[in-house]
Amino acid sequence: MRKPTRQRLAVLTGVLAGGLLLTACADDGGTDSASGDGGSCSPEDITLIGQVRNQTNPYEAAWLAGGDEFAESVGLEQQHLTYDGDSQRQQEQIRQALAGSGMECAVLNVLPNGDSDTAPIVAAANEAGAFLVTQWNKPADLNPWDGYDRWVSHITYDGEESGYLIAKALIEQMGGSGGIIALQGILDTSAAQDRFAGLQRALSEHPEVELLDEQTAGFDRAEALNVTRTLLTAHGEHVGGVWAANDDMALGAVQALEAAGITGVGVVGIDAVPEAIAAIEAGTMTATVSSDGPWQGAIGLAMGYCAATGELDVADVANDDRAFFAEQFLIDQTNAAEFAEPELNMDDFECGSLFDRATGPIG
Amino acid sequence: MTSPDTAQPRAADAAGPAPPRGPAPAASGGRPAWRPRGTDAVQTTASLAALVLMILVFSVLDAQFRSWDNVVAVVDAAAVPGVVTVGLTFVLLLGAIDLSVEGVIGACALTVALLVANSRTGLDLGVLGVAATVALGAAFGLLSGVLSTRLRIPSFLTTLGVYAIGLGVATILFSGERPIVEDPWLGDWASSRFLGFTIVSWVAAGAILVGWLIQRYTRVGRYAYAIGGAEDIARLSGVPVARYKTAAFAVAGSFYGLGAVMATSQLGSGVVQAGSGLNFSAIAAAVIGGTLLVGGRGGVLQSMIGVLVLTVLQNGLILAGVSPYAQQAVQGVIVVVAVAAATWPVRHRLGVVK
Repeated sequence: MRKPTRQRLAVLTGVLAGGLLLTACADDGGTDSASGDGGSCSPEDITLIGQVRNQTNPYEAAWLAGGDEFAESVGLEQQHLTYDGDSQRQQEQIRQALAGSGMECAVLNVLPNGDSDTAPIVAAANEAGAFLVTQWNKPADLNPWDGYDRWVSHITYDGEESGYLIAKALIEQMGGSGGIIALQGILDTSAAQDRFAGLQRALSEHPEVELLDEQTAGFDRAEALNVTRTLLTAHGEHVGGVWAANDDMALGAVQALEAAGITGVGVVGIDAVPEAIAAIEAGTMTATVSSDGPWQGAIGLAMGYCAATGELDVADVANDDRAFFAEQFLIDQTNAAEFAEPELNMDDFECGSLFDRATGPIG
Repeated sequence: MTSPDTAQPRAADAAGPAPPRGPAPAASGGRPAWRPRGTDAVQTTASLAALVLMILVFSVLDAQFRSWDNVVAVVDAAAVPGVVTVGLTFVLLLGAIDLSVEGVIGACALTVALLVANSRTGLDLGVLGVAATVALGAAFGLLSGVLSTRLRIPSFLTTLGVYAIGLGVATILFSGERPIVEDPWLGDWASSRFLGFTIVSWVAAGAILVGWLIQRYTRVGRYAYAIGGAEDIARLSGVPVARYKTAAFAVAGSFYGLGAVMATSQLGSGVVQAGSGLNFSAIAAAVIGGTLLVGGRGGVLQSMIGVLVLTVLQNGLILAGVSPYAQQAVQGVIVVVAVAAATWPVRHRLGVVK
């Protein structure tokens, strides 16, 4: 009884797979003509899609909220896609979103899960004729100007600059001299390496500041607590500041300092998570860096929207603007209150000012 | 219920001539089940020797290591892993395994952060919230135990499932915004000190004592040895195996819950990943100390030796100035050597190695 059932299943699966293949082929044929021209969609025909990992972390929730706000400002609605950090699922969602006709008026603002996930997304969007903006992750040798006329731009942030900005803020708080301990991220990630390079640049400008110790705490709060505790016994009162490669580790260090009864030591991190901003307002942390999540959620949609309506001609955009580092913001006690509840400035999303936050090409 | 008081020595007597798994401590006739004897005593001595050797080496390498401040730091750092390992020891004594630690701690960390005064809910249950969290941990343990014993699924799989459930519960409770602990009483656990040590360390000491008392004086503890030593013989002797196995899992869960409360106090807010890395370090600590995975061997106090070995190692490598790039590898090598050294005296007794 068992065997025949399996065979039937196999046949069924085969038929289904074949059917899917056929459908896929048909789609390709249908959209080929669309990918050549563009920029003639009427605003009400445009579909806005925002895709991030999940909505359970404050940063990505803010990203989607920013996208919603932009969509509302042009009388549309943003479709939310979340893939829980699962690359397979992200690709599947993109495939589904781009299945069907009329995709030449679709706009995608996507956070690829990892560098290697970007290429298939770009290829799928270009084939379907949908306008695409990617953020954070892409392989260095894949660029929008290499024949991808629908991939409007790739936006990311200079980790070296983030590490440098918070290091400067920390050194300033320490009065320009003293000892620093550094909490690195996961050592083999480019985020950890770039940010630490920024700290080293700041240190080279301030020879009177000494790097007492560098340890990894894997971007993890509990690990940072333990490592900081040990480093505090190792270096005692020489520690004037703690530089951490993200806010979670910085907050772990804050707890270690509190447990040790030490005050007056500056702590800096990166990411601008709400808890860190609250700590800065309370004075237990010195500074963090924000990429402005709501802006990221809105700008990708705005770029695609302007391209779809024809107000922005992708072919006219300079290569430096098609893969760029965006401006990031240092948050310290002077401006923490504003960032506690960030607000979008809709002027940022006018078709003429889309690239105002570009600080330079990636590289 | 069959009279358990007579069942215990019978189980022990019967377990005596079962050499392939090695004589469990419970198998030592009328003697107390908890006291390490024979090869177990040799092994405890070996683990202790490894710890002392490690302390001596680091003391020579770095003067900071032998400072009083660092002793306090090591004890503080050992507190949470210590409590978690006490719980895990009960499961390992059964010859079972528990992979749910990080999930249970995640769920309990969020729970306690939301029950005491915090930035998200209006609750302020204080000590009641802590008690409820420990009870939640016990409930997770109970679930692992019931699934393992009643559905007869290996604990490896049931606890992996409970791990996922715990993490899921934690993520739902997290719902995008971390609850910051605003209860000064719970915050003080991590920051105020009594006789030089933090309250968390004292809570850990108390928990270890309670764990030892459970192991020494209650049926849950004593039967754990009999079940882990030779489950079929324990069952034939009238020990209600399923019931006491389930109870041991529940005891373990309550220790994870307490560990989560302590970690939350130290971290200052409810963190889903509060237990990250703890599961495997707790298993490693227990084995280094002599609580072997085959079951029926070791105990709470032996496991604590292992916790100290791992904590001293992490602390010492940083103080000795080992490059962060090499630390993990060095740590791995030393752990393997420590396990080999600690289990060397009894290796011929371990009939089967899987």
